[in-house]
Amino acid sequence: MKRQRLGILGVAVAAVLPVWTSGQQVAEIVAFTVPGTNPIVDPHAPLWRDCRPVDVTLLPQTIVVPQKPDAAVRQLSVRAAHNANWLAFRLEWVDPTRSDQLVLDNFGDQVAVELPVDPHGPAPSPMMGNPGGRVNIMQWRAAFQRDIDRGPPTVQSLYPNAWADIYPDQVLSVSDARAYTGALGVENPISRAAASPVLDQMAEGWGTMTVKPDQYAVGRGVWSDGRWAVVITRPLVSDDLNGPRLAQGDRTVVAFAVWEGGNREVGSRKSWSTWVPLVIGSVDVRKPEAGERRRR
Amino acid sequence: MAKVYNWQIGREMDYPFEGHRPQKQFAMVFDTNKCIACQTCTVACKTTWTPGRGQEYMYWNNVETKPYGFYPLGWDVRILEAHGVQDMSGPVYTGKTLFDAAPTGEVILGYLPEDIDYAHPNLGEDDCAGTMPQGAHLQLPHMQWMFYLPRICNHCTYPACLAACPRQSIYKRPEDGIVLLDQSRCRGYRECVRGCPYKKTYFNAITRVSEKCIGCYPAIEQGRQTQCTIACIGKIRLQGFLGKHDAPDEDNPMDYIVFVRKLALPLYPQFGLEPNTYYIPPVHVPPEFLRQMFGWGVDAAVALYRKIQEDKKLLAALTLFGSTPHIIHYFRVDGDDAVGYDAAEKELVRVPLHEPLVIREAYDRAHDAYRTNIT
Repeated sequence: MKRQRLGILGVAVAAVLPVWTSGQQVAEIVAFTVPGTNPIVDPHAPLWRDCRPVDVTLLPQTIVVPQKPDAAVRQLSVRAAHNANWLAFRLEWVDPTRSDQLVLDNFGDQVAVELPVDPHGPAPSPMMGNPGGRVNIMQWRAAFQRDIDRGPPTVQSLYPNAWADIYPDQVLSVSDARAYTGALGVENPISRAAASPVLDQMAEGWGTMTVKPDQYAVGRGVWSDGRWAVVITRPLVSDDLNGPRLAQGDRTVVAFAVWEGGNREVGSRKSWSTWVPLVIGSVDVRKPEAGERRRR
Repeated sequence: MAKVYNWQIGREMDYPFEGHRPQKQFAMVFDTNKCIACQTCTVACKTTWTPGRGQEYMYWNNVETKPYGFYPLGWDVRILEAHGVQDMSGPVYTGKTLFDAAPTGEVILGYLPEDIDYAHPNLGEDDCAGTMPQGAHLQLPHMQWMFYLPRICNHCTYPACLAACPRQSIYKRPEDGIVLLDQSRCRGYRECVRGCPYKKTYFNAITRVSEKCIGCYPAIEQGRQTQCTIACIGKIRLQGFLGKHDAPDEDNPMDYIVFVRKLALPLYPQFGLEPNTYYIPPVHVPPEFLRQMFGWGVDAAVALYRKIQEDKKLLAALTLFGSTPHIIHYFRVDGDDAVGYDAAEKELVRVPLHEPLVIREAYDRAHDAYRTNIT
């Protein structure tokens, strides 16, 4: 299921944090079984109607600096589903401002799903993992979604009245002009969406977020009527050593984070959840209520 | 927070990382009395490093007019206002640094400029400090004041950009103290833009990460001064390396000007970053303004500059400004010449302390013509 290979692997700098041994027990998220073998990416697909949403409470990140104590998003509606090959999360939240163009004082909307790389061991810290407790963080970015839907940013798209006489890439060879392209020239994975609006990443604590050289996660986000609906999907099983291997009936945990770009949230200025129990189409979840359709 | 020693404020201060001074420190001295804001430095930097897409309004080097010029808009008055009035009597600074003044949940007291604040790099250019009354005519000294402030990244000993970055994407080179921003590692959080009080890190909206002055390190590594320095037509700059503040080398022109004679002063030392570009203060500007901008040493520096004709060695150090594209590591006075040497003590340049005087007669016999005074 390997989708692509990126050129950059950042250096992980680990912070010392204890292994997360207990978490607040909130509602369980059940990934319902749906038919099919292809990636589940459409947030408006009919299958989501069959999946019961769970409201996950988010809190502002106030453990490390810098912080944004007035982080805007406090509740995330989460649905989960899996088919034969893929595990998908549908995340929906209220966001009156669609923020998908980045300039100095415009920040992008983002949402992330975090899973322990070892789904069967003791859960690492929900706060981006800890040394030895590696987590897989799949982050959807509104700016990447816009790159894919409408093309990457240009100076004219960001600043319609801008004018420059000449750029190096207009007069130099590609290799010579590369020196003037900054992070794009060194293939920083933050600079542009590749084939997916989701960045597949790993971390072992604060400041260690690293985009994986091999990208497995995909997804799609749609903004309408003041709400984002985003699907983030990854293979249940792959040859990814930095992602969980999951099967029907497995129990693990999942955590979430949201950045409201319109509120200038970025990096550690965000709202997040603690671990929430996650069941992959388990047989021991509660029975469907009368008249409710559900497939396991 | 670690305790580090900041010689500019004469005391220890809190900093998020332990203090490790580089083997030598990239530094620059500007003689503000000679700058005419021709922006040749700005253009030299721009064409060398920032002509790319997303860098249109990014000036790693800029020259602004004080008191009303700013790039970005209001950068210093905004942070000064947030910092509040501090005791600038010195020589030990007792006020708060920007690290001391950090609000809860922040590494440093800072602010994020608006995008539009970068849209007018020459706003306030040539505006003087006050108005002229009706009927005013030129007097000496001038009735109003202004001066030009050339600026690059200060390559601070305790950089705020480095401290503010949650990912440690910014690092300070141990070999020369140049502060660099890793274009592979940055994730575009803009914490460095918010944290740097000098606003010398910039967000590139096309690459979506931040960028900053690189101290022309490819040139530096070849023994060559920065582009902005060697392009300066007014010869107002000298770029070199500072040694130890507590054991200065009198033969190093940077050490001599900054540490020994204290003629050149740091920009806003009260912020606590130990910035490493140094300014010979403009002699005609009210001392209260200069004290806020360059610290408590300005009165002595201005007095020293006014008598520089009598100070042969200091004059020699200043005479070497703009005399060679190579980095001058050592200098000495040889008769009536100032001589600069490279790191291997090989002579780089020899400059007379005084230009030879040539008098040209008003009437040119050879051409049977009268010369007008065209200098």
